[in-house]
Amino acid sequence: MRSTVEANVPVPVLKDAAKPGQPADKEPAQTQDRVGPSREEEEGTAEYAAEVRNLRMKFPGTPDLLFRDLSLNIRRGEKVLLLGPSGCGKSTLLQVLGGVIPRVTEVPLKAELLQVPDSAGLVFQDPDTQFCMPYVDEELAFVLENLAVPAEDMRPRIGQALRQVGLELPDPHVPIGSLSQGMKQRLALASVLLLEPDVLLLDEPSALLDPEGRRTIWDAVRRAAGERTVIIVEHRIEEVLDWVDRVVLFRGDGSILADGQAAEVFARCRDRMREYGIWHPEAWNEAYGEPAGEAALAQPGAYRAGGVLEPEEAAAPGTGPARGRSAAAPVHPAAESAAALPLLRLENFRVLRGGKSVCAVQSAAVLPGDLIALTGPNGAGKSSLLLGLMGLLAHEGSCEYAGSRPSGRRAMREAAAKHAAFVFQNPEFQFVTNRVLDEVAFTLRSEAESALNASHSGAFARWFPRRRPRPDAGAEALIAAQASACLDRFGLGGYAERHPYLLSLGQKRRLSVASAIVSDKPLVLLDEPTFGQDARNAFAILDLCERLRASGHAVLMITHEMEIAERLATQIWKIEDGALISAESTGRSPTAALRLSKEEPS
Amino acid sequence: MREFFVPTRINWLHRANPAVKLPLFILLFGVTVLTHRIDASFYLACVFLALLFLASGYPLWKTALLASGFALAFASASLTMILFGKGSEVWWSLGPISISKESFYRGLHLGFRSIAFGCQGLLFVLTTSSTGLFYALMQRLKLSPKYAYSFMASLRLMPMALDELRIRRDALSVRGAGRGSSASLLRLPELYALPLLAQSIRRAQRTAVAMEVKRFDAGSRRTYYYSSPITRNDGAAFLVLAGAAAAALLLAHLLPLFALGDMRMNP
Amino acid sequence: MSANRTEAASRRRGLTLTDVLVTVVVSLVLGVVYHLWASVSSIAGLLFIQSDELVYGMWFAASTLAFLLIRKPGVALIAEIAAAHLEIAFGSAYGIQLLLYSVVQGLAAELVFAAFRYRNTSAVAAGLAGVAAAAGSLLADIYYGYVTEYATWLILFKYSLRAVSSFVIAGYLMYGLAKLLERAGVTQSLRPVERKEYDALDG
Repeated sequence: MRSTVEANVPVPVLKDAAKPGQPADKEPAQTQDRVGPSREEEEGTAEYAAEVRNLRMKFPGTPDLLFRDLSLNIRRGEKVLLLGPSGCGKSTLLQVLGGVIPRVTEVPLKAELLQVPDSAGLVFQDPDTQFCMPYVDEELAFVLENLAVPAEDMRPRIGQALRQVGLELPDPHVPIGSLSQGMKQRLALASVLLLEPDVLLLDEPSALLDPEGRRTIWDAVRRAAGERTVIIVEHRIEEVLDWVDRVVLFRGDGSILADGQAAEVFARCRDRMREYGIWHPEAWNEAYGEPAGEAALAQPGAYRAGGVLEPEEAAAPGTGPARGRSAAAPVHPAAESAAALPLLRLENFRVLRGGKSVCAVQSAAVLPGDLIALTGPNGAGKSSLLLGLMGLLAHEGSCEYAGSRPSGRRAMREAAAKHAAFVFQNPEFQFVTNRVLDEVAFTLRSEAESALNASHSGAFARWFPRRRPRPDAGAEALIAAQASACLDRFGLGGYAERHPYLLSLGQKRRLSVASAIVSDKPLVLLDEPTFGQDARNAFAILDLCERLRASGHAVLMITHEMEIAERLATQIWKIEDGALISAESTGRSPTAALRLSKEEPS
Repeated sequence: MREFFVPTRINWLHRANPAVKLPLFILLFGVTVLTHRIDASFYLACVFLALLFLASGYPLWKTALLASGFALAFASASLTMILFGKGSEVWWSLGPISISKESFYRGLHLGFRSIAFGCQGLLFVLTTSSTGLFYALMQRLKLSPKYAYSFMASLRLMPMALDELRIRRDALSVRGAGRGSSASLLRLPELYALPLLAQSIRRAQRTAVAMEVKRFDAGSRRTYYYSSPITRNDGAAFLVLAGAAAAALLLAHLLPLFALGDMRMNP
Repeated sequence: MSANRTEAASRRRGLTLTDVLVTVVVSLVLGVVYHLWASVSSIAGLLFIQSDELVYGMWFAASTLAFLLIRKPGVALIAEIAAAHLEIAFGSAYGIQLLLYSVVQGLAAELVFAAFRYRNTSAVAAGLAGVAAAAGSLLADIYYGYVTEYATWLILFKYSLRAVSSFVIAGYLMYGLAKLLERAGVTQSLRPVERKEYDALDG
């Protein structure tokens, strides 16, 4: 049927055909060398659920067109997956196909033909921005009200819609806020199913969910889809791989690279998918090689020699921490061997929120060279633990930073500021300036200022601070140079003048990490750093963490991604119901050599 | 936060139709604002304070907690007038401060009135759910659903904004921004407002698109999940509220405590 | 496509659901920030008599900011009402009069923007709208708080402070914030698309 176009000789790419000055309408649509569509065109468009011909589109204020003469049609009943690198416009195209643009959102576009389904149901990415009512039943009723369904018919239909997506609630009058993110996405699906749509459009519905949520939403989609046409935009394809009939792969410029049967496109365009950062089932293996043997993982505490499991290119022995322990010593976090002084040691530590303990830690330690995966269900207290360590929440018990034990929240905050860097989950909340370069420079400047301040500290200075001393001109120049060197290292060198909010999702994340670690704190705390990121960005972040680890820093990250825990972590801390229930070594030693993904270009 | 505002007992006032209750309370506001005698305002404050505790349907401590805000309202309404109001019978003066008999009683009168306003407002809020109010306004008073659903959606967005405020405070503390000098105190609104606004505006846009994707169209006919009938409870609400106001005014006439004239003239 | 465009444009001339929701949310966020700021700057309240008037302009900030962002008739009024609605819904001790104040203040600000035919989005226009809102609050104060019975110097002092604060906060501060949001790319999608953007499609 459809064949991929990448390798075909007559260049089917419309972008190349439409040279500036050449009128668009003269362009023959037939240049696209796809066997299927041209045959079907003669049969008329009735069998298409949605169709665009020569679509041009542009976001206001941007110089380039998002699409230049794009043509695509979706047949009825087809299950289509749209894939492509971040920013290629696939989500926008989905909104065009679903009739949202330009009916609801105005985006300049023109097309020779734009046929959209009469009834389409669209589920968006963010579980928190799809509802307008406080309760589950009211939200579903909102849809029925829009359809002018009589009030007495509403309850049965609400119950039916909830059953369809596997959201069995004894009483649907439940606050939406009390649902998990995964349940919210199923509620969003239920609410569009009430529209009885011919076409179901899904815009990365699982991108912001944990693995459990991902599984359940796709189960629900499969069950609910039936004979409907389904168009999916997704960056994570393992759950939909064996279900879709057709895959359309876009290039970064919004043109179509390949269009055909799923298996065929996957086989042909494997490398491109990796380049585009698409999560596919083999992504982790491709990046890090086959996982470690089960036997080794099954014995927590068992030591594996550092080099054995490394992928070929990883070894960089010189970068390992100098304070390494002897190779044969058992790794056990609690019973620390004498060689390395823990960066952080917790004993009977409890983080308090409003006077109540939200995360309790019996005993745990972080050594230089540790990469610790902090796992556990949502709401178990993982974030609270990090906030407690930073002194942002009150605590009881003992917490030692590099041997010194701060008492009280203020002392804790000061000790944490000296020893730890913190990267929040949403990078935007961490930005304090209006220019990318300034973000990094800000950290360096605060460091320099606090160093100056420390020289005349004391009780008096604390209560009566002078004007914050300013680094002199020479120091300023140094800071600027350091900051731009840091941006270069993070691949942000070309964006120094930009507003941080205008960066892409992956760039924002990198900037937030850069601005946190530029001051070289020994301990780095990260709250779900790879969450919602494409594979490329995720591996870039992990490489960064791994480099930090191998250079003698310690990394403590919250993550739901078990692959990280299994492949990179030296310890796995599990938190459940407000307590650290286990802190086990994975067998990877803090002195293990660098293990990078193959994504890193150099 | 939402749980806080759930009444433990439901009575006739909760069951009254908000589309009737709202005009009634605005009428009450009108009556109170046109009260210029201190006796009347005193009794209005007393009667509605009693009614608030009796009819709100909330446990005593919660009502008391919310009502504690009245102390501040009383002070802010009365103090300036007491200290700086015009008046001929001066009791005490120091520099710009001049307490006269007129300004003193006028200040007290304003304080009583503000308590009466506060009680009426709180009584309405505590006995009316937002959802109920907007459904009633749409069905009975032809409020455009566009506004009704936007206002209802904003209540859902409130806790998110508060969460983000907390996160931002932590982030600023970690990054060492917004502390120290007084110049940074002035930068504070920007440091908080920019990220919160950016997040919330994008969220609002996405929510609006999601609503319209679900075929929300302010112009077309719609049905309503909750009906909004006029019942006997509305009659009860009218009688009790009107009765309360009348009782207060009657008491002021029969048992005047201050026996002073119109507070706008010099009494 | 041009026919399509005019149809879309006419639908968007009035306030869309997005416009209303964004307006409501702008006043929500400013309300939250205001309460935080007020608690920080409450020391300022002890500086001198009536010095709390110095931050009073924040009450009108939502209406000018919403207008500067969306630039359509009606948003200034809606922003004021939304701010009052949230105050009341979360148990303010001031009750229903907040709603009536907000209507008077919002209408006053709206009048200024209307006098400029809704085309002037400068800091001065926003400042004047803030001053108008302050004048509206004076009108309400006369009925509600008998402020004409204050000593004359106090009336002048209090309300000139309020006017200045409104001009600065609702005008210049909100103008600056709107510009920052513009730089951060948040406002782009809030405003009607210009003709030239459609022309660029033919390039």
